[in-house]
Amino acid sequence: MSIDITLTVNGREINTEVSPETTLVQLLREHLLLTGTHVGCDTSQCGACTVHLDGRAVKSCTVLAVQADGSEVTTIEGIAVAGGLHPMQAAFHQCHGLQCGFCTAGMIMSAIDLVTREDDLDEATIRKGLAGNICRCTGYHNIVKAVQMAAGQMEGRGHE
Amino acid sequence: MSETEISTIGRSVLRKEDHRFITGNGRFTDDINLPGQTYAVFVRSPLPHAEVRAVDTSEAEAAAGVVAVLTGADLAQDELGGLPCGWMITSKDGSEMKQPLHPVMAVDKVNYLGEPVAIVIAETLLEARNAAETVQVDYRELDAVVGADKAQSALQIHAEAPANTCYEWELGEREATEAAFEQASHITSLDLHNNRLIPNAIEPRAAIADYQPGTEELTLYTTSQNPHLARLILAAFVQIAPEHKLRVVSPDVGGGFGSKIMVYSEETATAWACMRIGRPVKWCADRSEAFLADAHGRDHFSHVELALDDEGTFLGLRVKTIANMGAYLSSFASSVPTYLYGTLLAGQYKTPAIYVEVDAVFTNTAPVDAYRGAGRPEASFLIERITTMAAREMDIDPAELRRRNFIQPEDFPYQTPVALEYDTGNYGVSLDKALEMSGYAEFSARQQQSVSSGKLRGIGISCYIEACGIAPSQVAGSLGAGVGLWESGEIRVNPTGNVTVLTGSHSHGQGHETTFAQLVAARFGIPIDDVQVVHGDTARLDFGMGTYGSRSIAVGGSALSVAADKIITKGCKIAAHLMETEAENIDFDQGEFKVSSSNLSKTFQEVAFAAYVPHDYPLDELEPGLTEKAFYDPANFTYPAGCHICEVEIDPDTGCVEIVNFTAVDDFGRIINPMIVEGQVHGGLAQGIGQALLENCVYDDTGQLLTGSYMDYCMPRADDLPSFNVDLTETPCTHNPLGVKGCGEAGAIGSPPAVINAITHAIGIPHMDMPATAEKVWRAIQEKRGA
Amino acid sequence: MELFEELEIALAREEVWAMLVDAEILSQCITGCETVERISETEYTLLLGTSIGPVRARFTGTIELTDLNPPESYTMLGSGKGGVVGFAKGSAKIRLQDRTVAGKTGTLLSCTLAVSVGGKLAQIGSRLVDVAARKLTTDFLSRFVALAEK
Ligand code: FES
Ligand code: FES
Repeated sequence: MSIDITLTVNGREINTEVSPETTLVQLLREHLLLTGTHVGCDTSQCGACTVHLDGRAVKSCTVLAVQADGSEVTTIEGIAVAGGLHPMQAAFHQCHGLQCGFCTAGMIMSAIDLVTREDDLDEATIRKGLAGNICRCTGYHNIVKAVQMAAGQMEGRGHE
Repeated sequence: MSETEISTIGRSVLRKEDHRFITGNGRFTDDINLPGQTYAVFVRSPLPHAEVRAVDTSEAEAAAGVVAVLTGADLAQDELGGLPCGWMITSKDGSEMKQPLHPVMAVDKVNYLGEPVAIVIAETLLEARNAAETVQVDYRELDAVVGADKAQSALQIHAEAPANTCYEWELGEREATEAAFEQASHITSLDLHNNRLIPNAIEPRAAIADYQPGTEELTLYTTSQNPHLARLILAAFVQIAPEHKLRVVSPDVGGGFGSKIMVYSEETATAWACMRIGRPVKWCADRSEAFLADAHGRDHFSHVELALDDEGTFLGLRVKTIANMGAYLSSFASSVPTYLYGTLLAGQYKTPAIYVEVDAVFTNTAPVDAYRGAGRPEASFLIERITTMAAREMDIDPAELRRRNFIQPEDFPYQTPVALEYDTGNYGVSLDKALEMSGYAEFSARQQQSVSSGKLRGIGISCYIEACGIAPSQVAGSLGAGVGLWESGEIRVNPTGNVTVLTGSHSHGQGHETTFAQLVAARFGIPIDDVQVVHGDTARLDFGMGTYGSRSIAVGGSALSVAADKIITKGCKIAAHLMETEAENIDFDQGEFKVSSSNLSKTFQEVAFAAYVPHDYPLDELEPGLTEKAFYDPANFTYPAGCHICEVEIDPDTGCVEIVNFTAVDDFGRIINPMIVEGQVHGGLAQGIGQALLENCVYDDTGQLLTGSYMDYCMPRADDLPSFNVDLTETPCTHNPLGVKGCGEAGAIGSPPAVINAITHAIGIPHMDMPATAEKVWRAIQEKRGA
Repeated sequence: MELFEELEIALAREEVWAMLVDAEILSQCITGCETVERISETEYTLLLGTSIGPVRARFTGTIELTDLNPPESYTMLGSGKGGVVGFAKGSAKIRLQDRTVAGKTGTLLSCTLAVSVGGKLAQIGSRLVDVAARKLTTDFLSRFVALAEK
């Protein structure tokens, strides 16, 4: 059985057929070949698959593709702003907030969501806010610094 | 500083590799898709120990979309070999270690939970999964051997290993050590379990294989830390395909920490199945499989005793360890509790007599092998724990006791009683700096404050040493290892003057593409953006040993340094020819070949171009081209060392431990890129603190894995950890051209004893096994109060 | 994992016993039981669909009644294989005693259950096995009572 869905992914309208058990991350990675979003676990706990669904961070391994019907999805491939990186991407680079790069897409998507939602971002709030994303490489130290840096810059530009 | 500026060594150049990862353009194994690919799913044993009486694949074969179902028996039919362990160990009695056959898939017996029994290949992943459920395996359940401490008296697992013993190894002087204990005025002893860990790189293992029948070439893309070694093992031991027709590619790899060094069943079976069916086969582990079938780490039971005189001078150290190998010997497993553990037991101290015995045992658990630090965290935990315990027992400040026993700067090179010769170090300097940074002197004031708010506070020191840059072939050979680990590097200067660097090291997060580019760019005086580092593909580089044991910069970097020297030597000849002088008259500096005592010069780019346009070349003396290669085999290990200090505050009502300060001062010798080095330290600390506080692999007593997902295996998350205070001291390594030592594992080696020393200090107890979970801490506090 | 449950049934011991050895009745009381087949006097095979935490599985299982002591007690030994999700094993000791229920001769049924699981079930669901087993048992008993008192 296939179900017809229409959604916007990174600003592009997609009309496709999926089987009911297809997850959003499968749709992104396998159908749309957007492989920047990763899968790191099978119990919805690592956050590597985090994308934005209608502006909120979700774990795309736990969302069915059909649930995204009619929605707007943004992935790591879709956040760069014209002519340059999103401030969060730039901050991860500046602060050495990534090593192997496998958790990075999910981490950046969660971090953007966190900065957009929370006004008062001290270190403890950032650490709590990112507790749904596991990074095995960095020890989080530089990720926290990157989020702090980006938060400052995103504020300057107003929340997107 | 922008990356296009000319780099110099020692600056925090931002990473060249970042851009692809932050934009989602990394290329990990699971991101690769090949036309006509099929999907593999493994049927795994739900029992830790059983005879396999029959495997019925008929229903699976008939299932929708199924291309093939292959079993251990099919492998045997193709006469494929088992998975070998490369490191030989000789027992005390002179016998060789027992190495039972490690079949790629089980044939008539399964020995650990999750051991692959069959591979199901189908058109889609879902079809493969569904079909795998229908494979019927008839098992006759056997009692499982679970704990390493009880393995030697349990049911025998392998016919060739009586008492489930792989080897009984010893190092050091037994008699001298006994004598030292007789002299002692104080003896401190401790029994401990170094907890079992699951590495958990966030990218699960994966493989995709492609076979070209026309050329008989097999390509395996896989998540390997050392593709050349994987190719060697697959060709020479398993004999899937000959080496020259087998290409192994490790594209971007999402973390390794040791767990991707090994050559495993699944990747091997995937490659083999691809040849059998003549279509690409893709396998990607899900996290549950990673928990079951990635090589685990640590799991030592040890008894340790330290003999001291009444001044606190160390007289002798005696250690007996039982190390769990799991069900089979994984690729490096035997070396971890021996060459990488026993040899490190001197630590930073002048202990005159050391004797260690290690029994390696088989159990019905997943194979245990190298995990970040591999052997060295176990050694450092034991030494740094017993040292602190002794200090407390003798009422000497733990920092002071360490200082009294340090190997002093004038003692180097220092021959330890356990085979290694340390080339250099200055331990007092790291300790002083760490004491200063952590505010050690003012600790009691902070403790008072905690006490007045109803909390407990403690501080713990650890002065670790490690042996990195593995492994000097001659040293390894003299220990009986049978292998040694050099590294290769190749520099291709292209006609336009930019440079392709090929290294046998492999980066899976360490930032080689930046550090190695910095190294080469600085040497040639060219912009760092003109250097491209290539790694991880057996087709592009002749041979390499990969990355583990903090070896990349010390061994791989040194190889590149030697290759760069060769380029400059040849460049001088070319420049001499161009400027009609002798090579001896040419000086190379900052990207220019200059004729000494003249103002004639040629740029690096001009010389590169000339190398490929050899008009009027003296071709009998000078070949065209500008490519050089070097193989570097280190003369010795390198010995990074440092001091970590942890301060904790504990809520006695909940047992929750908060790390209020963590200071790490490390001596890695010369530093190429401080930012990357600090990042490596942070990551290592997170894993070390994770081991100390949270992580624990638990099998129940029937051998079922209870911590098989992120719901039960507690990974350190952002809110479990503090920010770290990290700094460096520097005594350059004396025997490699760069003066570097390696930094990848230090954090995981130094931190666990610092954390436990702090917690036991806060509670006022002699010891607590890791992980010090809130529950365990709470119970210890209750018990202490009751007592 | 062990658990103990008891409850009263307004039906005489012999009648309760008869129900307890009736495959048809048993199958109606087991949540997710799809088919039951009797293969001997005391052995049954069954197909069961269930979920433990995030793990969903169809078990093919056997049930064997041992230590039969009518109309007082027996032990039900169950084992099920769920393919790649693993297996479950359990035993339920059932005991019947006379008890006055609502003024009439009724029965007190007590049940001691022990369960162990393996494979993926243990790996992911071990913390949830208790909950699942408890639910299976209470469901079983309440349906059994409902059928008995119908
Ligand atoms: S893949 Fe781990 S949370 Fe989605
Ligand atoms: S950078 Fe490797 S997991 Fe985060």
